Amino acid sequence: MKKVAGKILFATLSVLYPALVFCGLEFWGLSPRRLSLMLIALAFVHFFNVTRDRASVRDGGAFDKANLVKNLGLVLLMALLGALSFFADNILFLKFYPVLVSLSLLAFFSFSLWKKPSFAFRMANLGDKSLRTAPDRAYVERYCDRVTLAWCFFFVFNASVALATTLVGDDRIWSLYNGLISYILLGIFFAVEFMVRKMMQQKMHSYIPVCQLQRDSRPVDAVVCFDGDATRTWAEFVEDVSKVRQYLESSGKHDWILHCEDSYFFIVALLAMLQGGFKAMVTANRQEAFIKEIKKPENGFMTDEPFGDASAEAVLIQDLLKEPVAEIRWNTFDKDKAEMVMFTSGTTGEPKSVPKMFCQFENELFELVKVFGDGWVGRKVYSTVNHHHIYGLLFTVLLPTATGLPFRRHRIDYPTELASLAAEKAVVASSPAFLKRLAADTDKPIDFKVTPIIYSSGGPLPEEVARKCCDITGYWTMEIYGSTETGGIAYRQSKNGPIWTPFEVCKMSIGENDCLNVKSSYILEPEGFTTGDLVEIYDDGRFLLKGRADSIVKIEEKRISLPEVENRIKSSGLVQDVRVVPMSGSRQYLAAAIVLNAEGREKFKDVAKLEINNFFKKHLAQFIENTVSPKKWRYLEELPQDTQGKIKMRDIQALFGIPESPNFKILKMRREPGMVTLRLVFPETSDFYNGHFPAFKLLPAVAQVDMTVMLANALFGTPRVLQRIQRTKFSYPVLPDTPVNLEMTYKAETGKVLFTYTLDSGRMLSTGTLVTGVQNG
Amino acid sequence: MIIKSLELEDVTPADIVDDAPLFGESANGLGLDSIDALELGIAIKDNFGVSFSVVNEETKKHFYSVDSLAAYISANQPK
Repeated sequence: MKKVAGKILFATLSVLYPALVFCGLEFWGLSPRRLSLMLIALAFVHFFNVTRDRASVRDGGAFDKANLVKNLGLVLLMALLGALSFFADNILFLKFYPVLVSLSLLAFFSFSLWKKPSFAFRMANLGDKSLRTAPDRAYVERYCDRVTLAWCFFFVFNASVALATTLVGDDRIWSLYNGLISYILLGIFFAVEFMVRKMMQQKMHSYIPVCQLQRDSRPVDAVVCFDGDATRTWAEFVEDVSKVRQYLESSGKHDWILHCEDSYFFIVALLAMLQGGFKAMVTANRQEAFIKEIKKPENGFMTDEPFGDASAEAVLIQDLLKEPVAEIRWNTFDKDKAEMVMFTSGTTGEPKSVPKMFCQFENELFELVKVFGDGWVGRKVYSTVNHHHIYGLLFTVLLPTATGLPFRRHRIDYPTELASLAAEKAVVASSPAFLKRLAADTDKPIDFKVTPIIYSSGGPLPEEVARKCCDITGYWTMEIYGSTETGGIAYRQSKNGPIWTPFEVCKMSIGENDCLNVKSSYILEPEGFTTGDLVEIYDDGRFLLKGRADSIVKIEEKRISLPEVENRIKSSGLVQDVRVVPMSGSRQYLAAAIVLNAEGREKFKDVAKLEINNFFKKHLAQFIENTVSPKKWRYLEELPQDTQGKIKMRDIQALFGIPESPNFKILKMRREPGMVTLRLVFPETSDFYNGHFPAFKLLPAVAQVDMTVMLANALFGTPRVLQRIQRTKFSYPVLPDTPVNLEMTYKAETGKVLFTYTLDSGRMLSTGTLVTGVQNG
Repeated sequence: MIIKSLELEDVTPADIVDDAPLFGESANGLGLDSIDALELGIAIKDNFGVSFSVVNEETKKHFYSVDSLAAYISANQPK
């Protein structure tokens, strides 16, 4: 009690000091010498306060020590001033006291800026203990630092004015300023800071874990998502979730397969399922054959596009949202009990299901907000990736939901669309596939008003692509490394080199086969998860990825690292991208799929393929044995990939399964289950033209069909002998050296292959159906 | 026959120079490797009934080019 009383006495006297001095001089007729006793007394009070605190300071940090030094210094100077005015009997020294107070506070505040955390942040921490561990701590801290700095400026100003009033010598002005105006300024400063803080808090869209969102967590008119000018507000969102929830509860089904192209529909359905205790099985693939494979009769299937196969009993979410809402159903849920399933294609290409608990996503969200969150304030979220995969799910759907940032309902599909965001403050969740296309298709920088923040995940982003994208967007893409099983593991920006910085919660070690093992708060297995990536871990925890473990293959008993061969090919300086895959025929060998860069295209413009092969063989002979040098070569415009942009060994091997022929050339291939898109060109020298139309070189229909039969055989394994051909239409000729796009869809149940040849312009050239007959097994 | 048995790609018979080395590095050769040699040996045995029983410096000479192989085969072909 005594301690507090002493402090109150000191504070009161300090505040009233100018008034007391003034009254003493003007009204009570006290001499400066007598008044100086007051200052000396004040020094004593303060001294006792400080020394009493000292016991607790002894084991305190630099901050407490600084406080002590400041206080003792103040006591000393106060006593000095008091003594001076006592002996000189001069009022001038007494008047220095307010200057002294301002200066000591200035010293103290600036010290806390130097030795962080700043004073304002300490104060904020006292008010809200959870701040220390909150993911948006960095943001709050930065704000508090600014406030502390503003205080420093205030004290500089106040000390200068106080000094001026002291030296002017007029007692009235001195006491008016120091006894009143200075306090009013202080009050105004507090008020302004309070208002600014409120405004910032509104802008900060405070983070709330998804499982803890309440129906009134956000203002009713807060924008959840947008599509052009149309928006959905928080109130509508709550209603829509309730509608889906209502249906789910009446359906009698517990496990739901979920696929919605529209991100808004997706999050509405997902939240309704999680809040209602239903299990959500999220799939990016909604091919009929795949859904049939994963869907048990007791499972529901919710989607936002009409589904062909009636036996799947697909529920269209749009139909549910048309119904009037009977009652609002919204509740928080237990993140440790909410179950989900994700499907991953994996790098090996075999689809597999990965069970997930919602806490895994929630814990990762917390980490992401902590690391990246302070850059997101006031931004909108855009996506070029699929939200049915973990990275898209986290970045483009769950993060906006947890942070209250509005997101766009539809994906950005084309790099050219990015320019339309120039006026927006954007966060773009992207992938190497999109950024590569952006880098290839864009010549001049996009004039962004505010530099966008761009994330990339799903595979490594080559440094030169990251550099080009920075030239275009002004931002060095932030890459996230992770997988469906592990979630996010680490991040990097290529401008800082190829080394990855792990998220704080991820513990790295070297597991089986020299592969990276990760333990984190979002990996449930206590032993962690061992990835297929070779790694070198540095002492500070950062690490370097050194290729995939399955990238080491044996060719005729010789071990060879595929990335090594790839890097050697790249070192020719003529190659933009390359993938080397092991093949087995009558013997094992390597095959290389190459995308030449501008220099390479120029160099090999009119060179026969065999000569290009020999060039690379000769280049490789400097480094590797002939046996492990690739035997087959393909030169493409783009490496084969799926719609995710993932390059899979399986797809490249399938490409080499198509016999090479001088009659046609494959430029691109995109493959997903049941469907392949190829970009082909038939050179003028092709045999296909011979003997059909002597006057014109037009690709005959029979060659187009034969081509399709051959490709379907290589890619789908359909027989080379057809039962019949249906619905063929040849509406426009295929010309030599003009690239055409061939799309083939294979329906295993009926054994039919639908094919369509189109031009880049979209013009239909021909179409038809091959009936190959249903295969056994 | 060489192209077929070794599953060579992008190579036509016209590309194979009769007196150019089949193996290793050279300007106009095929750059075949040791496994190709074994395969080729088997293919020659199947096609011409000529076998190479021992691998030594001597056989290496025979495998030098198409011409040297042809000479060896015609000399050893069972009548």
